[in-house]
Amino acid sequence: MRIICLLCVCLLMLGDFLEAKFDDFEDGDDVVEYDDNDFAEFEDVMEDVVTEPPQRVITTEEDEEEATVELEGPDDNPEDFEDADPQEGDTENEPYDDEEFEGFEEKPDMSSSKSKDPITIVDVPAHLQNSWESYYMEILMVTGLLAYIMNYIIGKNKNNRLAQAWFNTHRELLESNFSLVGDDGTSKEATSTGKLNQENEHIYNLWCSGRVCCEGMLIQLKFLKRQDLLNVLARMMRPTCDQVQIKVTMNDEDMDTYVFAVGTRRALVRLQKEMQDLCEFCSDKPKSGTKYGLPDSLAILSEMGEVTEGMMDTKMVHFLTHYADKIESVHFSDQFSGPKVMQEEGQPLKLPDTKRTLLFTFNVPGLGNTSPKDMEALLPLMNMVIYSIDKAKKFRLNREGRQKADKNRARVEENFLKLTHVQRQEAAQSRREEKKRAEKERIMNEEDPEKQRRLEEAALRREQKKLEKKQLKMKQIKVKSM
Amino acid sequence: MSANNMSDPRRPNKVLRYKPPATENNPALEDPTPDYMNLLGMIFSMCGLMLKLKWCAWIAVYCSFISFANSRSSEDTKQMMSSFMLSISAVVMSYLQNPQPMTPPWC
Repeated sequence: MRIICLLCVCLLMLGDFLEAKFDDFEDGDDVVEYDDNDFAEFEDVMEDVVTEPPQRVITTEEDEEEATVELEGPDDNPEDFEDADPQEGDTENEPYDDEEFEGFEEKPDMSSSKSKDPITIVDVPAHLQNSWESYYMEILMVTGLLAYIMNYIIGKNKNNRLAQAWFNTHRELLESNFSLVGDDGTSKEATSTGKLNQENEHIYNLWCSGRVCCEGMLIQLKFLKRQDLLNVLARMMRPTCDQVQIKVTMNDEDMDTYVFAVGTRRALVRLQKEMQDLCEFCSDKPKSGTKYGLPDSLAILSEMGEVTEGMMDTKMVHFLTHYADKIESVHFSDQFSGPKVMQEEGQPLKLPDTKRTLLFTFNVPGLGNTSPKDMEALLPLMNMVIYSIDKAKKFRLNREGRQKADKNRARVEENFLKLTHVQRQEAAQSRREEKKRAEKERIMNEEDPEKQRRLEEAALRREQKKLEKKQLKMKQIKVKSM
Repeated sequence: MSANNMSDPRRPNKVLRYKPPATENNPALEDPTPDYMNLLGMIFSMCGLMLKLKWCAWIAVYCSFISFANSRSSEDTKQMMSSFMLSISAVVMSYLQNPQPMTPPWC
């Protein structure tokens, strides 16, 4: 009995439960239409959702300003849903009326037609993007600058190391030959600084003085511009060497009068064009040095044969032959005045000052890829320099040679005077006029009238005397010619 | 003593002081690169500032760097620093006025 009662209660409860469920579906039609309507609602909503996104995409492509429109869109949609629901709730009971949906169907057609056209996604212009990628040029520039700075530091350090290596190798030899090694000219007392002067990041100087025969020796280490990236790139196209240039200034009494050069043919041709003394005194083309036992690569420019004979002794030939690859040029001259100076006003009015000089230009081995060890290879060349200084002191021209040399120098001077004759005359004339003008001014400025008169008379007398002298000279010339 | 003097070539009494070579008389000896680069840098800076061309300003920075790298140590650092600062200011001003990325001159 009890079990039956329990069963009845359970059945009743089930029935209630089922009734409660079916309460939602009050109308039988609703049950059928429920699926359609509910899903129809969603279908309508989904269609709306489907149609709207393409519109959204298109609007973003057109203009940024329509972003505001987009934002309103999603906000509007829930309202649309709410509005749509009661509407569609009203139409739930009615079957679909095609007339009602005429306009609605066009929309899907429009959207489908739109979807048929290919959607071209245009790239957002670079100036509207906010990514780092658009700044690629700036990144490139900064990278370039960083590379330049890195190269500057590396190049500067390399040049410094090379210079120090050279100096450490040569220090002993220099200190044994010169009492002053290293001077920058600024200190009060002449004490050896014992270090190189850095002129640049690629040029180092060393001044040595205090030796027999010579006034002093200036050594210039002209390295490649390793600190400049542009130069490094240019050198990749055209490799060049580091150079060591040595200029020994001789005492006047310790060197005879001659001009002589030996070196690579190309260097000598260039020097002959550039250097004043080589141009004037060694007018012939560079001759091959094989006659004296030199290698083919070296040529000789000389004022006279005797000088060449005298210079090319065994030891010199030995030096030149063994180190021919490192020698660019060797130039001994008593008339050295540097390269030709091109003046704008034509020829200079007086001969440039000359100095007895020995010049050496050596190439550092390695063709740019030099290492500090390569500096040791230059030490024998410094020995050659010291030997040349002593040799220049010992070497004297004989009488014939001396006469030839004197004649050459006189010829050069005469040529120079002829060329500048006109200019010198003009200069003298202008000087005379200046003097006259100055005197006249002095007379005018003189306040005392008596003094003025006296000065004027004196000037007149002077002029008359000059005229008389000139007339006498003319008469003498006429008599002589007769 | 005398033998020592003979073999030792040094003469402390004959010491001459170092005189820097007169470069005013020999303009050919001087390297013109730092001066040209300085001038170019200034011109590009002014172009970059006036015409608002970013690439001009960047080239000016490069020119001033090259000028600095090639300069002599005896040269006045003020000149170098002034051209450098001018080029940096040209770059900064160009970007402040127009923060967009640079367009290369060939575009």
